[in-house]
Amino acid sequence: MKVSYSKAIGDALKEEMRRDERIVMIGEDIGEYGNIFGITRGMLEEFGSKRVRNTPIVENAIVSCGVGAAITGLRPCFELMYSDFTMCSFTEIFHIMAKWRYMHGPDFKLPMVIRNASGSANGAAAEHSNPVESLFMHAAGLTIITPSCAYDAKGLLKSAIRSDNPVLFCEPKQLYQTKQEIPEDIYNSDYTVPIGVADVKREGADVTLVAIGLMVPRALEAAERLAAEEISVEVVDPRTLAPLDTETIYASISKTHRAAVVEESNKTSGVGAELAAKFQEDLYYELDGPVCRIAALDVPMPYNLEMEHYSIPTVERIMDSIRGMFR
Amino acid sequence: MSYSKEFLCSIHEKMLTLRQMELKILDRYAQGRVPGHIHSAIGQEGTFAGVLSTKKDGDYWKPIHRMHSLSYMMGMDEDAFWGELFGKKTGNSGGRGGMLHIGDFNTGFLGMSATLGNDAGVCVGAAMTIDYDNRDNVVYMIMGDGTSSRGPVYEALTMAKLWNLPVLFICENNAFALSTPAEDGIPVKDALAGRGSGWELPTKVVDGTDVLAVYEAAKELTDQMRAGGGPAILECKNYRWRGHFEGDQCNYRDPEMTKDKMENQDCLKMFEEKLINKGIITEQEIEAFKERFDKQMDAAIERAEAAPSIKPEEIYDNLYA
Repeated sequence: MKVSYSKAIGDALKEEMRRDERIVMIGEDIGEYGNIFGITRGMLEEFGSKRVRNTPIVENAIVSCGVGAAITGLRPCFELMYSDFTMCSFTEIFHIMAKWRYMHGPDFKLPMVIRNASGSANGAAAEHSNPVESLFMHAAGLTIITPSCAYDAKGLLKSAIRSDNPVLFCEPKQLYQTKQEIPEDIYNSDYTVPIGVADVKREGADVTLVAIGLMVPRALEAAERLAAEEISVEVVDPRTLAPLDTETIYASISKTHRAAVVEESNKTSGVGAELAAKFQEDLYYELDGPVCRIAALDVPMPYNLEMEHYSIPTVERIMDSIRGMFR
Repeated sequence: MSYSKEFLCSIHEKMLTLRQMELKILDRYAQGRVPGHIHSAIGQEGTFAGVLSTKKDGDYWKPIHRMHSLSYMMGMDEDAFWGELFGKKTGNSGGRGGMLHIGDFNTGFLGMSATLGNDAGVCVGAAMTIDYDNRDNVVYMIMGDGTSSRGPVYEALTMAKLWNLPVLFICENNAFALSTPAEDGIPVKDALAGRGSGWELPTKVVDGTDVLAVYEAAKELTDQMRAGGGPAILECKNYRWRGHFEGDQCNYRDPEMTKDKMENQDCLKMFEEKLINKGIITEQEIEAFKERFDKQMDAAIERAEAAPSIKPEEIYDNLYA
C-alpha cells in the first residue's frame, strides 16, 4: 500500500492512543481542526476532549505541562505546530524537559514527546522554516528524532511514545505528502523502529553521505545519478540525532573513507558541524579527505519561492558537492 | 476558626522546623561547608507552613528558590536532604541537581526550575493528571513576587483557568526581587493578585506573617478546588530578612526597616507568644524541641559530610531513564 508520511504519523498516534489510555495529546489546533496538516483529524471524536485538547497559543505552557503530566503518570504526546515555535519554549525544552530527571533524581521519569513540523515549505519564510535539531542537540538529556520516510515515521513515533525519556520529534514539512510503498501486513503489524539506530538507506563504496530528514530522499536521488558517473555513494540516515548511532555511521565511513553530511538547516553550527568535528576526532586516520558539509545557506529563509528552493540543498547541489570530494 | 491543640502544635512544629533548619543551613554556609549559593527564607515560615498545612495525600507541590528547608518539612529524609545540599551521592539526585532541586518525589514534590516561572506549567501538567484520574487533589504552585512578572506564569494561569484545573497559584511576596523593591518593579499593589485579576479566579491576599490567616485562606481556596472549583490565587505578604543570597550586603534597603521587621513582625515569635499565652505550649517545650532538633540535624550533617560524592564515571548516570 502507498502510505504518506503524514498518514503514518497520524496512524501511529491513533494506534498508540488505542493501546494505552494514559497517552494524551494537547496542542494548538489539534482538536476539531485536526492540526494544520490534518494529521490529528478525527482524533477528538475518537478519544474525547480529555485526551485530545486544543490549547491557546501558549508554547511555554505546552512543554512544561508535558513535563508535569509525564512525571505524575500520564504519557503526553504534545504538539508545537511549527518547529520554529520550539524557540518560544526554548527554556522549557532546554532546561526543564531535558534536565528535569538529571536535576531531581531517578524517581522522575519523563515519558513525553513534543512533535513539531519542521523545515521549509511553500514560502513559509524566515520564522516558519527552521529545522531545530542542531539547537537542541546541545541539550544533554533529550532524545531527538527526525524520520525521513513513512515507515520510519510510524515506527519511530511509536518508539518515542513508548520511551520513558523526553523526545523532540521533528517532522520535515515537505515530507508530509510524500508516499512510500509499504506492504499492508507490515504496516499494520504494530512494528516499531528502535531509537538510536541509524539506517543505511543505500549501500555504496566511495563515500558515506549522512543525510537527515528531508535530505534523505534527495541524497538517494543524488546517489542514484552519481552511480552513472561511477561514484558509489552510501547513504546513511541517522534517524535519531540524539543519542546518535555512531557505530553504524563510523562503520560506513571506515569502509568508504570519505564522509559528507547533508541537512536542511543552516551550515554554521548545524548538525554537519557537529558530525564533521566528531568524524575528525574519532576517524581521522580513516578519512581520505576533508568532511564535506552540505547545508542551507546562512540566511534567514527568504520568502521568494525560487530563493527558498535555492537556499536549501538540491539534488544538483548535493551531486556537485560530492563530485568535488573526488577532484 | 477554632483549632485543636494538636493542630496548633503541628503547625507550630512545622514553622519551628523551618526556622531551625534555615538556621542550620546558614550556619553551615557561613562555615564554608555548602558548595553553592543559599537563598534563605528565614522569617517567612508562616507563609510556607500555613499554606502547606492544607496539603493532603496525593497533592503535588512546587517550591521556589528560597526556603530549601521546605522539602524536609514536607517529609523528605534528612540524609537525602543534607546529602543533596552538600552535593553528595546520598542526595535525591546524587548531588547533580543541588540545593534548588532538593526534594522527594514521594512527598508530592514536582521539582523546581531555577529559571523561575518557567516551571509554572509543570504544575498545570500535574493538575492534568489529577483531572484525568478524577482525584480531589490539588497542586501548590509557589512563586515569589519577582517571578510573578514572568510571562510563563500567565500562560500557566490561562491553561489552568481554561481547563478548570486545581492549581493554587501562591505568590510569596517578600517585597524584593533580588535587589529591586516590589514598588520599583511591580506596577500594581498586589504582585500576583493584582495582575492575575484578569483571570477572574478566587483570590485572596493575606498577611504572610500570620500563619493562621494564611492557613485559613489556603484552606478555603483549596476546599473549593477539591470540589471542582478550578484554580485560585493566594498572595501572602511577608518580608525577606536576609539578602537575596548569603553574602548579599543589602545596600539597596534601609537596615532599620529590616531590623524592625525582624524584631516586630517575626511570624514564629508572634505565633509562639499566642500559643504560650493560651497555655498550649511552654517555652520549655520549645527549647526541648530545638535541642532535639539540633542533635538530630548535627548527626545528619555529619553523616552527609562523610558521605561519598559521585565518581566521575557516574556523571552520566540518570541522564536517561
